[in-house]
Amino acid sequence: MSSNFTFKISSFEKMGQILDSVKTERGVLSISLIMALVSTYYSFSHNYITSYGDAESHLNIAKRVVDSITPGFAQLGGIWLPLPHIFLIPFVKFDFLWHTGLAGSIVSGTAFVIASIFIYKLASLLTHNKDASFFAALVFILNPNILYLQSTPMTELTLIVFFVLSSYYFIRFLIEKGDISMLMLAAFFGLCASLSRYDGWALVMMEAGVICLYYFPFTFKRKQQMIAPSDNAQPVNESFRARWSLLEGRFILFATLAFFGIFLWLLWSFLILGDPLYFTHSEFSANSQQKGWNAKGQLPAFHHPLMSFLYYLVTVESISGILPTIIAIIGMILFLANRKSRNQVYILLIMLVPFIFNVLTLYMGQSIIFIPSLTPSTFEWTLFNVRYGVMMLPAIALFSGYLFYRTKTFGKLLISGLLILQCLLFFIGYSQVLALTDGVSGLSSATAKSPDAQHWLENNYDYGQVLMDDYKRTLSVIRTPIHMRDIIYIGNKPYWEESLAAPEKYARWIIIQRNDELWDRIYQDPVLNGRLYKYFSKVYTSDEILIFERNDLPA
Amino acid sequence: MGCRRKLKENYRMKKDTVIIIMIVVLSAFMYALTLRGAVGTPSAMEIKQHLSTQTQAFEASPERGRYVHVVSLAENGTYALENNWASVAFPDVGVSPKGEYFGFFAPGVAYMSVPFYLIGKYYGVGQVGSFSIESIFSIIALVFIFLIARNIFLLPQWAAIFSVLVYGFASTSWSYAVTLYQNAFTACFIVTAYYAVWKYSNDKGKYSFLYAAYVWLAYALAITVDYPNGLLFLPVLFYLAYVTFEAKKLADGYAISIRWASFLTAIVFVLITGLQLWHNNHYYGGWTKLAGTLQNYTHATTSPALTDSNHSFSTSTKAASSSVIVSIEPEKTVTGFFSEKHFANGFYVLLFSDERGLFYFTPIFLLAIFGIRYKLLNASKNEQVLTIIPLVFISMNVLLYSSWGDPEGGWAYGPRYLIPSMPWLALFVGIALHRWGKGIARKIFAYLLFLYSLATALLGVITTNSVPTKSEGLLLPAKKFNFLYNLDFLQSGKSGSFVYKTFLDGHISLITFFFLIYCFIAVLGLWVLHYSLKNAHE
Repeated sequence: MSSNFTFKISSFEKMGQILDSVKTERGVLSISLIMALVSTYYSFSHNYITSYGDAESHLNIAKRVVDSITPGFAQLGGIWLPLPHIFLIPFVKFDFLWHTGLAGSIVSGTAFVIASIFIYKLASLLTHNKDASFFAALVFILNPNILYLQSTPMTELTLIVFFVLSSYYFIRFLIEKGDISMLMLAAFFGLCASLSRYDGWALVMMEAGVICLYYFPFTFKRKQQMIAPSDNAQPVNESFRARWSLLEGRFILFATLAFFGIFLWLLWSFLILGDPLYFTHSEFSANSQQKGWNAKGQLPAFHHPLMSFLYYLVTVESISGILPTIIAIIGMILFLANRKSRNQVYILLIMLVPFIFNVLTLYMGQSIIFIPSLTPSTFEWTLFNVRYGVMMLPAIALFSGYLFYRTKTFGKLLISGLLILQCLLFFIGYSQVLALTDGVSGLSSATAKSPDAQHWLENNYDYGQVLMDDYKRTLSVIRTPIHMRDIIYIGNKPYWEESLAAPEKYARWIIIQRNDELWDRIYQDPVLNGRLYKYFSKVYTSDEILIFERNDLPA
Repeated sequence: MGCRRKLKENYRMKKDTVIIIMIVVLSAFMYALTLRGAVGTPSAMEIKQHLSTQTQAFEASPERGRYVHVVSLAENGTYALENNWASVAFPDVGVSPKGEYFGFFAPGVAYMSVPFYLIGKYYGVGQVGSFSIESIFSIIALVFIFLIARNIFLLPQWAAIFSVLVYGFASTSWSYAVTLYQNAFTACFIVTAYYAVWKYSNDKGKYSFLYAAYVWLAYALAITVDYPNGLLFLPVLFYLAYVTFEAKKLADGYAISIRWASFLTAIVFVLITGLQLWHNNHYYGGWTKLAGTLQNYTHATTSPALTDSNHSFSTSTKAASSSVIVSIEPEKTVTGFFSEKHFANGFYVLLFSDERGLFYFTPIFLLAIFGIRYKLLNASKNEQVLTIIPLVFISMNVLLYSSWGDPEGGWAYGPRYLIPSMPWLALFVGIALHRWGKGIARKIFAYLLFLYSLATALLGVITTNSVPTKSEGLLLPAKKFNFLYNLDFLQSGKSGSFVYKTFLDGHISLITFFFLIYCFIAVLGLWVLHYSLKNAHE
């Protein structure tokens, strides 16, 4: 009971040609673009684009630069790094793109497409193999967490694209043995990364460290033996000095550009906010927020190295999917064990920067992640900030591609099958799309905590300026008909300060949330409270939010 | 020369046959000594009042949940449970849309146990009879471990026997070879199906289709005993597909040969699965409705219906007439049972934890890592496939049950969900030992691991499988949650063994009983390893 079939090779040639045309940079561009558009449409149609509270904040920061009662670059603030907001500025000018969040989708989507192409190029740099490079790009492109985040105004994609670009040129610099133009490009994109998220600071520091290791004259003794016969004048010092001055030159060249972003940010903080380290310890900083969690005993990784490591490892695994993570770990081990290749330790250090950075910040209490598989169910929240795991996705993609490259036909089939299986696991819900879940129902979510007051305001706000403490995210401005130029918040000097002394001076509406700045400064103050009720009527009351409307102005 | 080789081959086969007979006799003896139970065919009331405590036959709900269906099928001719029997299986009982009660477990084990229950009942040991089917399947698995070791991995007899000893007696699989769970069935179906595919690939004769038919039969039956086997079996089916299609490169293309028997014999799978779908539809109210997705019920403890031991089988089984309360809960789905969010914790619990960890209970399996490494690095192309299939199976097993919300398996002994992987791990242990040749230090190390693993396995099997999870154990006065918990039962002489309780209690202490069995198998293991020092390659 068996039959034989014969297929001629020519039958496969056409199919092979089509496949070959897909496995190119242009193919990756097309696929990533299609996936970006489809997933953005999905997020748009399900109202997921601005699900994250931070997503709206990013849009609002950019919007205030061009459309505020006090517009200008000072509105960029001093906590979040400015580059993602600067990219948003041209798009948030249009109210439709601001309200819907599509301004962010354009920025993040563009970053996603460029990152996909450069992951392909990076894998190609290491493997010189089209199939493996294409596979690496697919691991990145098909990940639903990254697909969701690229449809939002969140800053992760902006960092990822600069991380990938800087890494690509830096690795090229290492492989091509000191091409200065590559080093300069790496430094430039490192600068951009360092102005996108603080993870970028770790990247440029690591790259600078790798330059030191790369040029450090570890082997000058061996050189001495080689050089000595032909060079009678102090061969040891010559060689050592030459290496050392090369190190100095390259380091200064790289650091001058790469660290310029950090310098600018410190200078900005000093000039605008009077404290160069404002972002580390102000009341709005992540560190201050983490202190609150620590006081509740809900900062599990703080000063706990194993938990910090586990928390980030599990986050990366959950975001990337269990199967790509396993594939990448095997690929990474093989990459490290490959004695034919040089620089693998340096390349590994660069690609692992997000991992090292996140573990360190978790350990130091500068960052926090809650993930259901590790966070005790007794905690107030079990899902928060899991999106930090996407920073490792370029590394996961690269090393998955490397394993693909190192295996033979059976292995390639198996690895491809596992990638398809992982997509199915995401599809059937075995692997949750945690970045989306956090946005929709986790602690990061704005929509999950959408107050009734917001719906009231949607129907009742007519015109006039609104005094509110935007930092406490009392309600979502983009979901109301209020114009950004009608908002008075802490960043609008002198309107804010004057309104705290005389609430009626500018505002027609005052929105107060329990324990926010306005609650403490106006509502709890007996004098100002009296003044508040003299000029305003309370038109909305809930347990958390009070809305006041000015009495003496005609409606 | 050819004649001499044939004689040698015949001699080898005869010797293997003798060893297989010895394996069957020895394992039947050991399993009989440790089989759980008591004389008689207990009623629902007896089970609830006397036999559902620790060290008794029905100490945990999984064996109760299956046994009640065995009784129902044998006595009443229906899979649906009477009220009083439903309360025996509580809390693992659900209610169908028609208001009938069913255990949450796949029905295969119950159906297969019925003949053994009837035979046992005839001799006055219905419960022991129904439990014995698990031992029979375990013995079959042991035989096939030996055959795979000998014929596929080409191990010498001593290494093959050692693999058998590791799986049969130095792993926690023993605890589940003497009761009524699904794990030993799964292990048996997997090893036999794998061996059948290998035979099928080597035999192109007229009746070779029978091997393919068996693979489909094993697959269908495996799903009937445990639904996740539908996934776990995929590596074996992949292997079947691999041997079904044979590609040869020609000058101008490829020649592909297809063995159609692989497809035609799938009719066996269709028939068995068809019966299971009928079962689902008839009892659970839908072709695709599985037992585990039925609505939970909470039973009212004051209900006379649930406490009346004389409640007749002919009484209506409708929920409406009972005081069983259907709880309102979100609809359960098949895929909802597994989630990646459980993975990190499940992986730790199943492999390394001190409550259920594979390497904590059975450290002899650490040697499997060396066997796997050796096979991966040194296997030929054909051998690579034979190695990768078990490895993929083990990975899937770990992955699947690490993602299960309850990786501990409730109150259980050792990592019971990993029992289907244990035959393969035992085989890789055999490969590692064979690779180590005559190295005495390594053999001593292996023997020490064997002694530890044997002790933990035997401790569980002669006392109780009902060991609390760590979170629950720490709340108990003893604060124990692993084999140390069983040590207390050993010291107080409480055993689950039918033979000990019926014939030996009062004559020898449980500790003596433990040491007699322990010494016997330990000496056997020592003899095998000692033999290997002299005859490393045969």
